[in-house]
Amino acid sequence: MEALAKTDFLAKDDLPEKPFVLWRPTAKTGLMSWLTTVDHKRIGFLYGISGLFFFIFGGIEALLIRIQLAVPNNTFLTSAQYSEMFTMHGTTMIFLVVMPIGAAFFNFIMPLQIGARDVAFPRLNAFSFWTFLVGAIIVNLGWFMKGGAPDAGWFGYAPLTTRTFSPTHAIDMWVMGLQLLGVASIAAALNFIVTIINLRAPGMTMMRLPVFTWMTLFTSFLIILSFPAITIALIEIMMDRLFGTNFFEVSNGGLPILWQHLFWIFGHPEVYILILPAMGIISEILPTFARKPLFGYPVVVFSGASIGFLGFGVWSHHMFTTGMGTTATAAFALMTMAIAVPTGVKIFNWIGTLWGGHLSMRTPMMFALGFLWMFMIGGLSGVMHAAAPADAQQHGSYFIVAHFHYVLIGGSLFALFAGIHYWFPLMFGRRVSEFWGKLAFWLVFVGFNVTFFPMHFLGLEGMPRRTFTYDANMGWNTGNFWSTVGAFILAIGVAVYFLTMIYTYFRGARTTRDPWDARTLEWSLPNPPPEYNFRVLPTVHARDDWWYEKRHTQEIAREAAEHARAEDAHGGIHMPFQSIYPFCASVGILIGAIGVAVVDPANPAQYPGFWGPKIAVTILGGAIMFVSVVLWSLEGNEGYHIHLNEDGSIKDDAGHAPAGH
Amino acid sequence: MSSTAAATLNHHHDPTTSTGIANKKLLMWAFLASDCMFFGCLISTHLIYRLHPPPGTPPAREVFSIELTSFSTFILLMSSLMMALAVNAIQKGNLKSLRWSLLTTIFFGCIFLGCQVYEFRNFVFEKHLTITNSILGTTFFTLTGTHGLHVLIGVIWLSGMLLYSFTGRLTEKDSIDVESMGLYWHFVDIVWIVIFTAVYLLEYI
Amino acid sequence: MRLFHTFTPLSQITRCAAVLAAVLPLSGCFWFDGPQSTFDPNGPVARHQMDVFYVTCWVALFIFVVVGSVLAYAMVKFRARGEGDLHAEPPEQGHGNPVVEMSLIGASVLALVVIAVPTLREIWYTYEVPVEEKANAYEVTATGYQWWFKFDYPAETAQTLDATAKAVGAPFSTANELVIPAGRPVHINLRTVDVIHSFWIPKLAGKVDMMPNRGNHLWVQADKPGYFWGQCAEFCGESHAVMRFRVIALGPREFNDWVNAQMAPAHRVAAAAAGAGAPKAQFAAYRTFSRNEAGFTEKFDRSPLDSWRAQQLPGKDEDPALIARGRELFSSKTCASCHTIRGDGYIGVVGPELTHVGARSTIAAGLLENNRDELHRWIHAPNEVKPGNTMWVKGYLANNIKLTLEDEDALVNYLESLK
Repeated sequence: MEALAKTDFLAKDDLPEKPFVLWRPTAKTGLMSWLTTVDHKRIGFLYGISGLFFFIFGGIEALLIRIQLAVPNNTFLTSAQYSEMFTMHGTTMIFLVVMPIGAAFFNFIMPLQIGARDVAFPRLNAFSFWTFLVGAIIVNLGWFMKGGAPDAGWFGYAPLTTRTFSPTHAIDMWVMGLQLLGVASIAAALNFIVTIINLRAPGMTMMRLPVFTWMTLFTSFLIILSFPAITIALIEIMMDRLFGTNFFEVSNGGLPILWQHLFWIFGHPEVYILILPAMGIISEILPTFARKPLFGYPVVVFSGASIGFLGFGVWSHHMFTTGMGTTATAAFALMTMAIAVPTGVKIFNWIGTLWGGHLSMRTPMMFALGFLWMFMIGGLSGVMHAAAPADAQQHGSYFIVAHFHYVLIGGSLFALFAGIHYWFPLMFGRRVSEFWGKLAFWLVFVGFNVTFFPMHFLGLEGMPRRTFTYDANMGWNTGNFWSTVGAFILAIGVAVYFLTMIYTYFRGARTTRDPWDARTLEWSLPNPPPEYNFRVLPTVHARDDWWYEKRHTQEIAREAAEHARAEDAHGGIHMPFQSIYPFCASVGILIGAIGVAVVDPANPAQYPGFWGPKIAVTILGGAIMFVSVVLWSLEGNEGYHIHLNEDGSIKDDAGHAPAGH
Repeated sequence: MSSTAAATLNHHHDPTTSTGIANKKLLMWAFLASDCMFFGCLISTHLIYRLHPPPGTPPAREVFSIELTSFSTFILLMSSLMMALAVNAIQKGNLKSLRWSLLTTIFFGCIFLGCQVYEFRNFVFEKHLTITNSILGTTFFTLTGTHGLHVLIGVIWLSGMLLYSFTGRLTEKDSIDVESMGLYWHFVDIVWIVIFTAVYLLEYI
Repeated sequence: MRLFHTFTPLSQITRCAAVLAAVLPLSGCFWFDGPQSTFDPNGPVARHQMDVFYVTCWVALFIFVVVGSVLAYAMVKFRARGEGDLHAEPPEQGHGNPVVEMSLIGASVLALVVIAVPTLREIWYTYEVPVEEKANAYEVTATGYQWWFKFDYPAETAQTLDATAKAVGAPFSTANELVIPAGRPVHINLRTVDVIHSFWIPKLAGKVDMMPNRGNHLWVQADKPGYFWGQCAEFCGESHAVMRFRVIALGPREFNDWVNAQMAPAHRVAAAAAGAGAPKAQFAAYRTFSRNEAGFTEKFDRSPLDSWRAQQLPGKDEDPALIARGRELFSSKTCASCHTIRGDGYIGVVGPELTHVGARSTIAAGLLENNRDELHRWIHAPNEVKPGNTMWVKGYLANNIKLTLEDEDALVNYLESLK
């Protein structure tokens, strides 16, 4: 039973008295409990709520874009406002919506699926979230400032982003914000990797991992290996802007194409960072509602791995028009076609899962099936882009816009909606109305297609993306008009979806454990899951372990009783202490980032040389961060023990006794 | 596993994790994989610009002083040796030996940083290579400066650990903390070998 | 809630109706021969690219129909019918079928080969003028500026004055309207002076980017004389959307005539009628425009090439006094520091060259039709037409240029006379 206890909680003999700064917060409710939380479920919830909050922003930006384009020669937005809208729409939806909602599921669901009580580094997990929030704030700060919001497109091609062509702080904030989002993502991904590899319950071999957990693992690897590329690109552009270096300074020999290479070496894996979690969610939902196991589990897992691997070799298909030369173009075209194979394999396996099943058409299943159809269209138009000569016409046109919205809305977002609906009863113990769920699905489905299907034709008709106006004689009027109509249907659908969720959160009908008759371990928990997750750490016997447990109840009960005794003898359930320092470190980062990105450089007459408010604010932020990190490491990773009553509630007397008495 | 350590903890197997690898060690390995990509991109940037020098770029050979850099490279390599000794010391619970090894590692790290500061000043003021006046300066200072920053972080971390060892709370059971710090330090060292080859030695072929 | 649980035929019908409602209005009413349609190629490069597109399109459609049918069948056939079915014993817990998996992987690879072969062939074809045609290729250089295009003709030499007012021969250049010989391959060098732009004439060829510090090129060939729309296709700043251009392909003789006309210095209206009286108060006649209003008349759209040809003819009702005043204002209002007008001694190089601006069919980078009203609209308030443009920011604002209506009228007359 040694394997059940975590090292982090092993006793230290005779701990010395702790100084005041190393006092550990214990609040379980109120603001402090959220600022100091290290519970993966609470952090997942925070990620989810922030993602949905920014989803409103990104959605409004999208609607403003569509209003401007509803009719030719419209004057609803100025050109400058329009540039801010599409830049922030892209940046928001990718980094502040799809990624955090994905991270919400990683946090909330993944540890439950592998039978763990938390992630490997609970405080690092909190730090990831707070730093994500800081990055999101920095990116959006421009709305409240004179220089305006970032306006150079979500991939910010140099030299448009250099100081010569974008003199305001808008781009500084974009650069700094993305940098921090990168730090947050990498920190979170490292945590998930260690968690999945090291904190699996006994018997949970790698080939028994639920597919969503596998996809979390692949996504995490993609994050840690691809984000450094954009980190470097952002450092280079930031050095150019702050210190006048020459990375992208054309007159001194800088090569702007380097930005594109660095950006897309990150950017293409990023696409898979957005879609792999979605594929994982779908691979959970289809078997549940078809009431049979995933078809070809090893093949699905392996195709996920090959998508991730090949994803690092196709970045230049975003650059077919940059004049790379024939050989490079051909090589990347072939690689891009090759990546279609594992993607297709997944579709085949999902259909194979449905085949011969008993499909119960609940709302999550509707979204999942919608995903299948929409992702098929998005994937096939993706293959069309791989044909480089055809792509020369499609690149940078509305055809591309149509393609990636089919992948990102029809793919990622449909799956996230499916996931929210699917896991809602587990997370909050309440059941979402099927009627309103299905109504939302149909509105979203129809609205989405009416919005984006015409864009294929607009692109082939020669309409370039990122244009704030167009002439009436180009043949683009009908398509654009319908697209705008569709956008509003889509918006209504999304509103219905979330209003339903909000209503259900407060007023929805209570539900019992495992309402969908699901297959994976997270459904073995009462809902909502208690803070310690598993009363007894499970021993895994099969791939869909909860399905197995439901059919071998006596064996499992016997095992659980044994484990419970062993764990109790070991001191009870180990829980990590809460900590305020991850939050403090992120606050330091926020201040430092404001110093770097927002504060104006000093007037040399007033402050000689290097000194001035800019450096002062930056150093202040850095110092706060440094002190927080030091205290964070000094307070140590101890925890406390809890003992449970028969009904799963925590025995009061053992409340917060430090671990290792 | 050495036979003398039979009575002590097994430092290569952590029974509380699924794989037997300590969480912190796994975290550090994954982070280093990420850092590999980080330096890979920076070094690539330098090499790409080396292949496309704009007219008027000073020949790097005239700027570099290979003797000084070779010396500091050697010093950094030696610091890795001392780091390894430090890890060994804590695994045996030998705090005194740990402190001396850490101190030497810090000292060597500082010598390396000192050499780098001297080199930068020399390049800027004597050789007139600055971060803004040529693409060579831009990529050189950014790459080696970023590495220097990694060394600086390492030195601060080492110093923190050295101070902590005097609180009496650092014991044999915490050897994983020293060990993952060691992994970081060795990595920084190895990256320097690559930088030394790709930035300096390449100019002398 | 029950309604959706019981799977009435109603939900099937609504589903079909919803899908149809989404697709029908979209497929029926598209106009596939718009000025920038890629479905209407007018040259071999665009045609080959469209051929590849059709291959990919049919393969994708084929896959979609086959896989979609299987999926649709599975959805209908295996759906649980009624509550009883939901709580029935779960189906057989099968885990996969390696033979099916492998053959599907094989089939997808095969489908990709069908796309890969033409892709590879056309990558090489579309990249460079075919070897046997190389000698016949005509060379021009296109340069992107924020937010207009400059076209140089290195093969032709025009008389001009250098900085010391000495007559020298130099390749002539023009702006925003690229005139090319039809039926001949044209090799276009792509350059930029500032940010990344992308050069796209959908009916002639797919786009290629103009990258700083990188010499890209593109080749096109127009089958027959024609008038083609083009547009910048890479976001390049505030006025990216209005950075447009035109390509005019002419038969050999007409092209030669055009080249000869371009090489001549600026046209001067005979001063014989000078002093015929005070300038007419024409300025009151200029109409006003709202922001983003379309810059083209329907007449122009109906036969753009004829409109272009008409623009080559000498103007009527020219007022030499007004023109002379405009020529003088062009210098005193600092226009000349950016614009070249060969023959009138203006040698600015920052902005578009205007020696024969009157003979172009468009102004303001292909945005407005070239007539007096539009020209007045443009010089009266450039920022309204093209937000953030250099003439406004670094000209009007930086030099505090104020134009009276009379000034504008004189400048319009002058510029329109430059045929």
